[in-house]
Amino acid sequence: MNQETPQKKRPLSQNGRIFYLVPLAAALIPFFANDYLQFIVNMIMVYVLVTVGFNLVIGNLGQLAFANTAFFGIGAYMTAILMTYAGFTYELALVGAAISGGLAGLLASVTALRGIRLYYLAIITLAFGELMRWVYIHAEPVTMGTDGLPLPDVTVFGMSMHSETAKFYVFLLITVLVVKGTSNLLKSRVGRAILAIRDNELTTASLGISTANYIILTFVWSGSVVGIAGAMFAASTERVFPESFGLTEVIVHFAMVMVGGAGSLIGSVIGGVVLTALPEYFRQFPGMEELFFGAIIIAVLLFLPKGLVSLLAKVSPLFRERYFRE
Amino acid sequence: MSGLLNLSGVSVHFSGLKALTDVSFSANAGEVTALIGPNGAGKTTLFNVVSGYVQPTAGEIHFKGEAIQGLTPHEVSEKGVRRTFQNGGLFGDMTVLENILTGLHVQINSNFWGLLFGTRKADEAERAAAARARRLLALMDMDGFADQQVKSLSGGQQRMVEIVRTIATEPPLLLLDEPAVGLSPPMRARMMEVIKRLAGEEGISILLIEHAIDLVMAGSDRIIVLNSGQKIAEGKPAEIRENREVLEAYLGYA
Amino acid sequence: MLMQLTVSGLSQGAIYALIALSLTVVFRATTVVNFGHGDFVLGGAFGVYVLVVMLGLPFLPSAIAAIALMFACGILISRGFIDPIKAGPHIGFAMMSISLGYIFRGTTRSIWGREVLPMPRVFDIPPIFVGDLVITGDAMIISGTVAILLAGFFVVFYKTSIGKVIQAVYQSERGATLIGINVKRFHDMMWGAGLAMGAVAGILIAPISLLHPDLGAGFLIRGFAAMTLGGFGSLGGAVAGGLILGVTEQYAGAYINTALIDITSYLVILVVLVVRPSGLFGKRAVVRV
Repeated sequence: MNQETPQKKRPLSQNGRIFYLVPLAAALIPFFANDYLQFIVNMIMVYVLVTVGFNLVIGNLGQLAFANTAFFGIGAYMTAILMTYAGFTYELALVGAAISGGLAGLLASVTALRGIRLYYLAIITLAFGELMRWVYIHAEPVTMGTDGLPLPDVTVFGMSMHSETAKFYVFLLITVLVVKGTSNLLKSRVGRAILAIRDNELTTASLGISTANYIILTFVWSGSVVGIAGAMFAASTERVFPESFGLTEVIVHFAMVMVGGAGSLIGSVIGGVVLTALPEYFRQFPGMEELFFGAIIIAVLLFLPKGLVSLLAKVSPLFRERYFRE
Repeated sequence: MSGLLNLSGVSVHFSGLKALTDVSFSANAGEVTALIGPNGAGKTTLFNVVSGYVQPTAGEIHFKGEAIQGLTPHEVSEKGVRRTFQNGGLFGDMTVLENILTGLHVQINSNFWGLLFGTRKADEAERAAAARARRLLALMDMDGFADQQVKSLSGGQQRMVEIVRTIATEPPLLLLDEPAVGLSPPMRARMMEVIKRLAGEEGISILLIEHAIDLVMAGSDRIIVLNSGQKIAEGKPAEIRENREVLEAYLGYA
Repeated sequence: MLMQLTVSGLSQGAIYALIALSLTVVFRATTVVNFGHGDFVLGGAFGVYVLVVMLGLPFLPSAIAAIALMFACGILISRGFIDPIKAGPHIGFAMMSISLGYIFRGTTRSIWGREVLPMPRVFDIPPIFVGDLVITGDAMIISGTVAILLAGFFVVFYKTSIGKVIQAVYQSERGATLIGINVKRFHDMMWGAGLAMGAVAGILIAPISLLHPDLGAGFLIRGFAAMTLGGFGSLGGAVAGGLILGVTEQYAGAYINTALIDITSYLVILVVLVVRPSGLFGKRAVVRV
């Protein structure tokens, strides 16, 4: 045993503060961007949160659940409905979207806890997502069906959020807070428990960790984060359509998680950023979106199963996910 | 009903197969109790029964005077009976340190909101846990491996990590399933030393399955011998060494 | 009315049965649930469309060519895309198959855009009248073809030596390797067979429905619903589940609300998995992971 030389310790407590430079630099974007570019940047933040939320369930917890599109749609529709019919302000509707997304997550976790796992979970959550889309289409009196439900004027604490720049700063604040909160959770016993469940649920239980609670927590947190993303999406497009939450969206979310790196928070951010701008371009060619996202997932599965972040981790330990604090 | 763990008349039948028949014994606090017996004698089944993974067909199991048969593994673990697994139950994608930290999970005093908002209290609880994890590793001379992926360790090192992780949970009773199997002779001796130290210095009671008879004789306080699902002998190492039935049934010589 | 609905439900259900059975064949052989299957089913239909409408070939040779093509696609998928990732986590299979499905869907969409394609009628068989009951020629063709196919499938599976081999591998892959079966090639064949059977379903439905790239998702969900209903992984259950689903859709559409036809399968999946995960006939325990 003594011949085996232990590897050198990783540089400890490499300050993750460097990551705060990203939002700080991003805050300057409005000074350079035109409205269209600004819209894309805003969408990037929406999809960063979509990916962060999805990755928790699929990457960290390792559960194959397709309910992400449902959480997204529920968040968006809840925002529009609360603002239109209940007269909520945007900041309150945002909380409503987070809560309803979380409740949808709770529902999805119940199936997982009932022993419906792997493919069964995938199928039941796929059905859940499609069922929700059917509801958006057919609950016409409330959702206005395929015509889409417009949002009333979006204001935050009394200030208009109509311009892309105003949206940008609100979104940036939300994104930073949610990503930071998620990072805090992941770098603690919560994050470790979730990973442990992915690796081996029985062993995790044998350590006195209540696996059921953490499965529920992961789904609820994931649902809330994606629900918030839905609320941002609604504010960004100012009208929500059922077709925004269809099956093509499923593969987009998947691709973002896989390209960034399953089970990596930094990967989620990277995946969301890298893959948001492109579909906007492809949308003008029918079928291209599907071909592009399909091909990119296949390529990642075959050649880079841990995503772009695994390449970056080779370059700098900053990109290696750590699940503790020192 | 004297010991820390008492089994009385425990039987386990799997669709006609009698894995355990009417097994009774006690494991005392602060001692190393070893279970020995040939393959298929029911040792692992007995572990599974005690830790709640298998329900007994008949009989009672008491831990600290409380009945624990019929509880789920999680509930048994909460009562203070913790185990290691034969095929390693480490989380391969985590580092050694993160694995130990999962063992410290329940001792970290923080709640969801504190963790989410990164309050000072939650933060300090986390940092203290990481420091303690490193100390526990140092106890076993494993501190140099703290930041390595578990997957990259040798089998023996992995088993050490698993034991450290289980110890981290501060178990009143630790069940060790063949901790020395597949280890090199010096590593085996070390493992046994560690086990004795745990019982002596840390006050952890240990129930052990072990094939290597020399280790058992040297390292345990009491030995229970199983054969074909039944207990055939029980006693101190010296007594077992003299027991004729054991010698014939298990040790293979007379 | 009830009888009429039952008849049209059964002929729809025959298609679902075939889709579910082809999904099950792949699942049982490889433990992969093929999330791209709906698009592969549609691949058969589009293949026939290209050959018949665009190239003007006769129907029967076109159909055979399309089936052969999908069989080859199955082998390619098994060899080129599933086998290389078998060491990775299981959810990789699901992502791979769903992505391959999207490649199919994207291809059809980029060629045909958002058009809806009518397929010329192939068979012109007059309907039969039994009392008030009308049985259309299409229903007869579909049910007849599926019945013959299913009979052939189960005869092969349970009565021939090939079937015995398949059953052996289903039981234990390790055991099969030990007695000298090339499991890799077996997987290829089962993927091929699964896609070919799916293609038949697509070809049968092509002449009676308008083709568009989004049909695949509906096929997939209905296949899953049928499998879930009959007990996931059961061959007979897949067939029974498909027929029951077809009839249920018709009843729900006629007696409650036509909008319900679209979501019957979702509801079936949700209810069955929550209430009785092993399905109506299944006794296999739910896979716990």
